[in-house]
Amino acid sequence: MIFNSLAFLLFILIFFPLYFGTKGKGQHRVCLIASYFFYGCWDWRFLSLIILSTLLDWCFGMWISHLYQNDGKSTNHQNKAYRFTHRIIARLAQTNFTPRAVLVLSIAMNLGVLGFFKYFNFFADSLAMLLQSIGFVPSWNTLHIILPVGISFYTFQSMSYTIDVYRRELKQETSLLKFATYIALFPQLVAGPIIRAADFLPQLAESKRFDYTRFNSGMGRILWGFFKKVAIADSLAPFVDQCFQSPQSFGSLHLMIGVVFYSFQIYCDFSGYSDIAIGLTRIMGFHFPENFRTPYFSRSFSEFWTRWHISLSSWLRDYLYIPLGGNRHGKLNTYRNNMLTMLLGGLWHGANWAFVFWGLLHGVYMMIQRIISPIWHRVISALKVPAIFSAGVEMGTVYLLTLFAWVFFRSGSQGLAGGDSFGTAYTILSHIGSGIGLSFSEVINKFQVLKGGLLISMLLLIELSNLRYRWNEWQLRQPYLRIALFSMVLWLLAFFGNFGANAFIYFQF
Amino acid sequence: MQKVVWYLLLPLAFFAGDRLGGYLLQKQSERSHFRYSRLYQNKAKADILLLGNSRGLCLYQPYIEEITHKKTCNLSYNGLPMDAAKALVLDYLDRYPEVKTLVIDVTMCDRENDPLLTGFLAYTDKSERLNTLIHNKELKAWWGGQVSHLFRYNNEIFQRALYYRNKSDEDWLLDRVITEAQIIDTSKSTYELDVNPYLIRQLQETIEASLEKGVQAHLVIAPYLPGFTVENLDNLKKAVEKATGLQVLDYRNSLVDPTFFGDYMHLNKEGSRHFIDMLRKDGVFD
Repeated sequence: MIFNSLAFLLFILIFFPLYFGTKGKGQHRVCLIASYFFYGCWDWRFLSLIILSTLLDWCFGMWISHLYQNDGKSTNHQNKAYRFTHRIIARLAQTNFTPRAVLVLSIAMNLGVLGFFKYFNFFADSLAMLLQSIGFVPSWNTLHIILPVGISFYTFQSMSYTIDVYRRELKQETSLLKFATYIALFPQLVAGPIIRAADFLPQLAESKRFDYTRFNSGMGRILWGFFKKVAIADSLAPFVDQCFQSPQSFGSLHLMIGVVFYSFQIYCDFSGYSDIAIGLTRIMGFHFPENFRTPYFSRSFSEFWTRWHISLSSWLRDYLYIPLGGNRHGKLNTYRNNMLTMLLGGLWHGANWAFVFWGLLHGVYMMIQRIISPIWHRVISALKVPAIFSAGVEMGTVYLLTLFAWVFFRSGSQGLAGGDSFGTAYTILSHIGSGIGLSFSEVINKFQVLKGGLLISMLLLIELSNLRYRWNEWQLRQPYLRIALFSMVLWLLAFFGNFGANAFIYFQF
Repeated sequence: MQKVVWYLLLPLAFFAGDRLGGYLLQKQSERSHFRYSRLYQNKAKADILLLGNSRGLCLYQPYIEEITHKKTCNLSYNGLPMDAAKALVLDYLDRYPEVKTLVIDVTMCDRENDPLLTGFLAYTDKSERLNTLIHNKELKAWWGGQVSHLFRYNNEIFQRALYYRNKSDEDWLLDRVITEAQIIDTSKSTYELDVNPYLIRQLQETIEASLEKGVQAHLVIAPYLPGFTVENLDNLKKAVEKATGLQVLDYRNSLVDPTFFGDYMHLNKEGSRHFIDMLRKDGVFD
């Protein structure tokens, strides 16, 4: 079941009356059952995986907490599941495990499950290739493993809980129901944003009532998300797919347009999903943090990563980059930590070397930026270059280098589908570099190009004007404006929307 | 209560704008010089009717008119399947009984293309046949067109109608030469045709309707780049000949110069002229 389907519309039409018709635990139960149903619609077999992951991390959190407290007070807790589990944990606590050892065990189990389902074949194939290159011919076969949708998202989410409990930044969640709701909440279950337990669990303390203002605000975000996904991303997709499926058939300009379109396709697809998720949870009474902030207007790569997939980049910063030492131990260690974080960020996206290379490119970009940024700023201040000019150069440079990296990222998706990822990227870049076919007459499917160009212009216009006018806040105060804006988005959807119920790109990660 | 009223206003505002927008777009479509707009505005009178998918576009109208001094109308469109083509031809025959010759590239009986059918939503108020076809094959899209009139114009066919609003579409043909890289890869490239009995039946019924109206039908296979493998072409040809009782004029290997091609399956303007000369020599336009 995907957001842009009739089945989902029916689903939320049933869900919201049930959700707002209940209180407290009842509301959490409705949420959890609906979320499991939503996830089960993909493949019910993988429900066991998410339930297992939930149970394990809940127990690990309790175990760590028990080792810290070691007082047994909590056995009088009213929650039956908690009392039962606590008795087992109390026995486990008599072993020699330290909180750190429990955390390592928890991380190992989480990454073990993720590694098996997502990376087993990748590492097996890579090892086989390595052995072949030194003369050994391994005889093992790869397994036909289906990737459970959203596994990377909910694994990171549940890992953050145990790490936060270990760091004593969060108290253990005694209610299994609340914890399971946190892990499985359907709007963000399969493609984020990755929500921290510390941000979300306190929001479950109170029952949620229907709120007209929140509903309007949420509806605004949902409609905008649908426009980005259904009208823009899905309209750009056929042109982009053609470019990456048979790049040898197209000339330089055609492929350049394809890469630019991809940069907007992935942005609109993913940020559209985030908008819908944020809008749905806003109606439900929750506050989710932003996941995108006009990333292509970034003036540096460090800024780009505070505007693109914010929930993942901040996760990697807090749970990987800073524990590795961050920027505290000299330049070389900072570069190393940066590079490791970006490489693992790349690998998180998919089991293909092209994703790792994409991460590597961003690591290199950030390293070079750290080196040349002070020189650049000295030069522009010495030459008294107008701020608007330097900003334009910086944004243009960041965008162009991001485009270069997107070629490998998209080719990685091609690799996941059985294609040759680096071969595809090489063909695209070499055809673009050849300069053959720079005339617009050699571009195929000009109507898709014109439509794509129009939609991208609309997106930029709306996003730029939104920086000044804050449309979604304005419509809350002006009912006439709300009706006008909502109607306008619906007209645009009717006229530009692609209603083939295409899945979101990030579902594959 | 006031809050509910605001949300009741939303569908009203949506439908009012949608109907107004739909009406304005319909007017734009009607004023276009695009082939289907002309067809339904009674501005497509011709002696020779041409039909095909993207390969049918190489039946280049200006050149045919130049050498035959006869008026032509080309109903070809990228990926046009035979069932939609049948509806268009029958509508054409109803409106323009003067037509004498019908030329069809039979490779359009290759495969169904239901998503393209939704593009004809823009003409459903003009053609009961298209309306029924879309209703039968793309029910969701048909309902979409009933709910939203703007949705009827959410397709490439309407975009082309806008593009040809102030200019003729008769010059629509590939204007490039196949790349060296593609020529080198020719032997590695294949295309598998489907022999689709449903589409062949649609072709048969189109031919029968044409013959009833005294229209001479010619079935052809336009050239492919030599060395490019098209699987099942012989099977398709046999099936078509058996169903229609007409001979298929097969030009698949008749042009060998790669510079006549825009890609493996499509002639460019230069190639099209040579192909049309062969058709003329074989009496197709007589």
